[in-house]
Amino acid sequence: MKLNLSAKSAWWTPDIPKSPLMRRRMLWAYAFISLPILALLVFLLGPILFSGWVSLHRWDMLSPVGEMPWRGLSNYVFLLTKDSVFGKALGNTFLFAIGGVGANTILGLGFALLLNSPIRGRRVWRVLYFMPVITAPLALAVMFSFIFDRNFGVVNSVITSLGLPRQPFLSAPSQSLLTLIFIAVYQYIGYYIVIFLAGLQGIPQDYYDAAQVDGAGRRQEFRFITLPLLKPVMLFVVVTNTIGALQVFDLVFATTGGAPANSSMTVVLHMYNTAFKFSRMGRASAMAFILFGIILLITVIQVRLLRDRAYQD
Amino acid sequence: MFCLRKPLVCLLLISLLCGLAGAGLAQDDITLTMLTHWGTEDQLAAQQVIIDAYMEANPGVNIELVTVDFGELRTKIITGRTAGISADVYHFYHLWLPDFVNAGVLAEPTQDDLSYIDENVAQGTIDAVSTSDGQIWGYPTEVNPYLLVYNKRLLAEAGYDAPPSTWDELKEIAEAITQVDDTGAISQLGLGVMAGWDSGIVHPFSALLFSNGGSYLSEDRSVAEFNSPQGIETLQLYADLVASGGTDPSISGLGDFPSGAVGMVIMAPWWRATLRAAEGIDFDTEVGVAEIPVGPSGDAPSSIAYTWLFAVDSNSPNKAAAWDFIHWMNAEHEEGQGSAIGDFLVNALGAIPSFDHDQAAYADSMSDHYVSAFVAASAYAHPEQIVAGGQEIKTLLQVEIEAVMAGMTTPEEALASVAAQADAILEEQRMMAEE
Repeated sequence: MKLNLSAKSAWWTPDIPKSPLMRRRMLWAYAFISLPILALLVFLLGPILFSGWVSLHRWDMLSPVGEMPWRGLSNYVFLLTKDSVFGKALGNTFLFAIGGVGANTILGLGFALLLNSPIRGRRVWRVLYFMPVITAPLALAVMFSFIFDRNFGVVNSVITSLGLPRQPFLSAPSQSLLTLIFIAVYQYIGYYIVIFLAGLQGIPQDYYDAAQVDGAGRRQEFRFITLPLLKPVMLFVVVTNTIGALQVFDLVFATTGGAPANSSMTVVLHMYNTAFKFSRMGRASAMAFILFGIILLITVIQVRLLRDRAYQD
Repeated sequence: MFCLRKPLVCLLLISLLCGLAGAGLAQDDITLTMLTHWGTEDQLAAQQVIIDAYMEANPGVNIELVTVDFGELRTKIITGRTAGISADVYHFYHLWLPDFVNAGVLAEPTQDDLSYIDENVAQGTIDAVSTSDGQIWGYPTEVNPYLLVYNKRLLAEAGYDAPPSTWDELKEIAEAITQVDDTGAISQLGLGVMAGWDSGIVHPFSALLFSNGGSYLSEDRSVAEFNSPQGIETLQLYADLVASGGTDPSISGLGDFPSGAVGMVIMAPWWRATLRAAEGIDFDTEVGVAEIPVGPSGDAPSSIAYTWLFAVDSNSPNKAAAWDFIHWMNAEHEEGQGSAIGDFLVNALGAIPSFDHDQAAYADSMSDHYVSAFVAASAYAHPEQIVAGGQEIKTLLQVEIEAVMAGMTTPEEALASVAAQADAILEEQRMMAEE
C-alpha cells in the first residue's frame, strides 16, 4: 500500500490498487489494523469515558449501571475537602515521587558515568545493576520485607553490629515511606542507568577531545558538554519516572499495605481500597481523574522546563 | 495450506466446528460454582470430598470449587458480578451482608430453607445472617468468638501459673514475658497484635471493649459507640501496652505465636489447625485459652463473635439447585449425625458450627481444651453488628488503633475522628436506603 503524499489536501487518501490480488491484500491490511484500533476504543477510550461517567455517580459495582444514583461533583468535593486519607495519600505519593525521581536521576547518572568509564568488570556491573529491573516487583517486595524486618532483618543485624541503634523501617510511620523509596530506587535504578548510559555513549568523543585541547578539566567537561547534551535523556528519565512514581501500587500493596496508620498509603492503593474494599467506585474513579490531572500538569511543566532548556543549550 | 489460500472459508469452518462442539457439550447437566476462602491444601481436599459425595448422590449436577484468599474474597465477588461471571454459591463474611443485600446480589432462600435454619440454629446466630428487617439470607456456618489464647510455657517462665483476668494483670504479664536483647531486638513478646489486618486489629479491640462494658455501635446501629469512655480506656490499654513493651506492632501475633515467640494473643477458634501443626508450641500441653480479661469499667468477661454464611447469587440460573446443594451440605444426613460442613468446620478448621445438630454430633470433637472454651464463649459473646458500610468503618478504626500504637495520636482524638466518619457513613447509608 502506498500513500499519495504529494497531494497535501488528501494526504490520507490511499491509492486504490486495481488488481484483485492487491485489493484483497489491502482488505486484509485494513482488517488487521482495525483490530488494534477496535481494541484501543473498547479497552482504553471506553473505560476512560465510563470511568469519568462513574465518577459523577455513587456506584458499588454490584448494582446495575443504569441504577447508579447521580452525585454530580460531590465525589470530587469529598476527596478534596473531607477525605483525610486521600490528602495523606497524595502527600505520601508526592514525597515518594520526589524522593524516587531525585535519587534515580542523580544516582542513575552517577552510576552511568562510572560504568561509562574504563573500569574493570564493566559488563558485570551493568548486569548486576540491571538485575532488579527484571525481577518480579512482588518478589522484591517480599524479600525486602524480610531484609528490613525490625527484629530479624539483615539490615538491622548489620546496623547493630556497628553499634548503631536498631531501626523499625517498614513498621514505623516515620520510616516506612523512606524505606519504600529506597526499595523502589533499588528496583528501578538499573533501568535509568541504562538510559543514561545510552545517552552518554551518544555524545561524540570529538567534543571532549576539543575541550581537552582547550584545557578543560573533567568537571568542566561534565558541566559544559555532558550535562547539556544529556538534557533530552534527562527529560525522558524525569518524566517517565515521575509518572511511574505517582502511580505506585504493587510495592506498597505487597510490603506495608499502606500501614502503619496510613503512613505509607499512596493514591492508587487508596483508590484500590476505596473501589474494591469499600465498594465506592464513583469516588475511586474521581480519584483516578484527579491523579490523572495532577500527572498531566506535572508532566507538562516538566516537559516545558526541561525541553526549553535543552533547546536553549 | 488450505487455510493460507482460503482464510475466510477456513475461519468459517473453525467457527462452525466450535459451535458444534459447544452444542455437543450442552447437555442437561447443571454446573454450580462455589466460591469460598478455604484454600489450603487440606481444606481443598476436605471440601472436594463433600463435593464428590454430593455429585455422586445427585447425578447431573457438577460442582466447581473456586477458592481465593480471604483478603481477595470481597473483590472476587464484586468483580465477578461486574464481569457477569459470578459464582452460584458464595461463602462470605457476614459483615458484607447488608452491602450485598442492598445491591441485590443475593437470592432469597426458599421457604423450606428458611424454616430449616429457623428450627436448627440459635437466634443470635440467625440474627447474624439476617438484615434488620429480619430476612434470613443464607445458611450460617462458623461462629467465631474471640478469647485470649496464651502460651503456658512462656507464662510459667515469667512466673505466672494462670492467665490474666483483668487488664492490670494483662499489662503486668505482657511486660514480664517480653524479652529484648542488648541490640534492641524483641526475642519474645507479651501480647501479640495483628497490625495491617482490619479483623486482626478490630476484633480483639472489640473483645476488650465489650469486656470493659462498652459497645461498638448503638443498638439500632445508627451511630458509633466505640468512642465512649469505655472505648477510650480500651485504646489507652493498647497505648499502655506499647509504652511498657508488653506489645509491639512490628511483631505479628498471627505468625509468631505459633512459633513460640509470643505469650498471648486474642484470637478465634479457627486457628486450631495452625496451632496443632505449629512447631514452636505444643498444642496439647502449651496452648491455653482464657476469657478476655475484664477492664476497669467492666464487670464480667465478654467478647465479640463473627459469622460466615452460605448464600446464592441472585443471577444464578440454577438457584433451586444451589439452595439444594447448600441444604445438603448443612443438613444432618441421618438422625444424630452431623452435616458435611459441620464435620469440615469442626475437624478441619476447629471452628464452631452454627447448626444445633452439628454442635451435638461433634460435641466430642469440640470438647478439647481449646475449642471447648470457645464454645462456652459463644453463649455470651456479642455478635458483630452488621451494617451497610461496616467494612469501611472497620478499616477506619483499624488505622486509628494503629496510629495510637505508633504514638501518632491519642485515644480520644483517634476514636472521635473515626466515630465522626462512621456516623457520616451510617447516615449516608440510611439516606441511600431511603432513596
